[in-house]
Amino acid sequence: MGSGIWSTDVYDAADRYRRATGASAFSYSDSGARTVHAALDPRGAVRESRDSAEHPQSLAITVLFDVTGSMGNVPRVLQTKLPQLLGLLLRQGYARDPQIMFGAIGDATCDRVPLQVGQFESDNRMDDDLGRIVLEGGGGGQMTESYELALYFMARHTAIDCWEKRGRRGYLFVIGDELAYPRAKAREVARLIGDDLREDVPLRQVVDEVTRRWDTYYLLPAGSAYAGNRKVLDFWRGLLGQNAVELDDLDAVCETIALTIGLGEQAIDLDEGLRDLRRAGSAATGTVSKALARLGGGRRTEVSPLPAPGTKRGGVSRL
Amino acid sequence: MNHTMVVDLGYGDAGKGTVVDWLCATRPVHTVVRFNGGAQAAHNVVLPDGRHHTFAQFGAGTFRPGVRTHLSRHVVVDPLALAAEADHLAAVGVPDALDRLTVDGEALLATPYHRAANRAREIARGADRHGSCGLGVGEAVAYGLAHPDEAPRVADCRSPALLRRRLAALRDRLTAELGPLDAPPVEDCLPAFTGFARRVAIVDRAHLAGVLRAGTCVFEGAQGVLLDEWHGFHPYTTWSTTTFANADGLLAEAGLAGEARRLGVLRVVTTRHGPGPLVTEDPTLPLTDPRNPTNPWQGRFRFGHFDAVAHRYALDVAGGVDGLALTHLDLAGPARSADDRPRRRPRLRLCRRYDTIDRLEPGPPGDLDRQAALTARLLRARPVYDDAPADWPAAVEDALGTPVELTSHSPTAEGKAVRNRTALTPGAGAR
Repeated sequence: MGSGIWSTDVYDAADRYRRATGASAFSYSDSGARTVHAALDPRGAVRESRDSAEHPQSLAITVLFDVTGSMGNVPRVLQTKLPQLLGLLLRQGYARDPQIMFGAIGDATCDRVPLQVGQFESDNRMDDDLGRIVLEGGGGGQMTESYELALYFMARHTAIDCWEKRGRRGYLFVIGDELAYPRAKAREVARLIGDDLREDVPLRQVVDEVTRRWDTYYLLPAGSAYAGNRKVLDFWRGLLGQNAVELDDLDAVCETIALTIGLGEQAIDLDEGLRDLRRAGSAATGTVSKALARLGGGRRTEVSPLPAPGTKRGGVSRL
Repeated sequence: MNHTMVVDLGYGDAGKGTVVDWLCATRPVHTVVRFNGGAQAAHNVVLPDGRHHTFAQFGAGTFRPGVRTHLSRHVVVDPLALAAEADHLAAVGVPDALDRLTVDGEALLATPYHRAANRAREIARGADRHGSCGLGVGEAVAYGLAHPDEAPRVADCRSPALLRRRLAALRDRLTAELGPLDAPPVEDCLPAFTGFARRVAIVDRAHLAGVLRAGTCVFEGAQGVLLDEWHGFHPYTTWSTTTFANADGLLAEAGLAGEARRLGVLRVVTTRHGPGPLVTEDPTLPLTDPRNPTNPWQGRFRFGHFDAVAHRYALDVAGGVDGLALTHLDLAGPARSADDRPRRRPRLRLCRRYDTIDRLEPGPPGDLDRQAALTARLLRARPVYDDAPADWPAAVEDALGTPVELTSHSPTAEGKAVRNRTALTPGAGAR
């Protein structure tokens, strides 16, 4: 017979689970840091998702979330759920070799850390990146954040093998509750990302560029300051069509992302996906089913041919 | 699908952990399924770089990236010990163990009240201790049998109000029986259990069927067949079915009855931790097991010569195996080590019969009077030894009438070798 060598103290265990679910996982930020962590600095960076012997069918997935005060406690709640995402994707077999990158979005006009981008990771090292994110906490109150800078970075500073080798778009999820600025300003791009642009790039063009290689979704969760605000939803619907999704329960964000990918990869239909979630003990099936009903019904996945350089295509053609 | 079931054909501690780790290191394993026992399991796995973990609730394949663990409903789940175990795994380079875990919501919970009651009872037994580990696993099983509809289960952790009620009822019943228990208030216990539910994927029965069809699984038994609740030597047994029976049942539910290879693990010396019969016990054997120190609940770790009589009996009650894994062969190895220093070699022997008994006949499961009578005979029996065999695997094969397919010469996966080419050969019989 064996012996119980692991501690069975209740107070200890509660604390361990609290830590394991990330209640104080933003250690870098919580320790008072107010500048971007070197590992997440977008300046001069290109983030790559590449195939390897271990992961021959890499699929790039990016989750960027608003970290300003207007989102209140949202990033911390998300953080507790997101590490499960990889497990959910792998367990249900929705994606063979998912590689996930986290990043954070603030406001370039008033925040100290308006853009933070991690690396694509295929294991729980992505938690490390989450822990390095600075939570701004402030927020300008003008209902606008610099999403355009984040989308610009995704469009021009990422390289992904799923697209380059197999013509399959990556998945980009932006979780927020505000509007973007109307153009990526050359001055801000130069300061934060390091590109020397001669003129500003209009938001519409940034979206066109990013959606060429990224299946892009905007998730607007309940519980955030402007949730349910038609102006925000309409704004993103205008840019991304039905890929702007309202979520009535923030806790369902992880499941929504997993199912969206399962649907996109044609691994499941919506009913199967909801069945998987129920089987996995998720309480979020109602929210997810509501949020994704528009995506699941009549959805058709178009796999584009390998990209020809210079081809210009607009909008979201995958849906 | 190439599923394999691994059980220990002795009293435990034969090396199931290292065999499961080897299986996961040498083929693509989807999930390690635990089908009995609980947090009292102690399956040691060592990596070539010296990292070590004693697997209690996580499957012993967890060092291998991507290999998942499923705790079936036959496991008694201890969320408190699980948190500590996950922390240690993170410390030795496995940060995602909790992400790779699924737990059946029907599984019983081990709680601080079970643990306190377990210890109170064992202390009251004085010199007649059963060898319990003091973790409350048996106590949880007993309570689950007595109050099946009220026993706290894993899924209850998702409903704090329900769990609070069940923990309070449990505490009150045990306190009424045993007096005040050394355990924290119910309110203090709740955060640990609800935290567990938030962090770990709790699934229902149907989950395992999907897993069994998704990829190769290894069923990892806990403890040993000779400690089986029905076939072991009463009362020195565990509250757990340690044979293949639970694993067979889970496979049958998934429509995969008989679709798994049966692997029995034996150590070249027969050991026992805790009281009860160990006919071939030899205190003069110059052996120690650093992973099994003397502890207040089981006492000294006991060593004996290879007891083919007892292992034959284990094979019979387990319904036979397809092959054996024989571990700790380094003890029977050459007299000189690799760097040519003389080794202190124990004189290991093999026992094929006792002075008054040639063979132990299995009885019907659950006839505890018969098992107690058998125990009494064993406590009087004396071993009859043959000379130490020159070729241990061949001798064990001959004594047990079962092929030895895997031999182990060190604690790491690298110290294992497939003997002859069998279905265990990596890649052999793959789908």
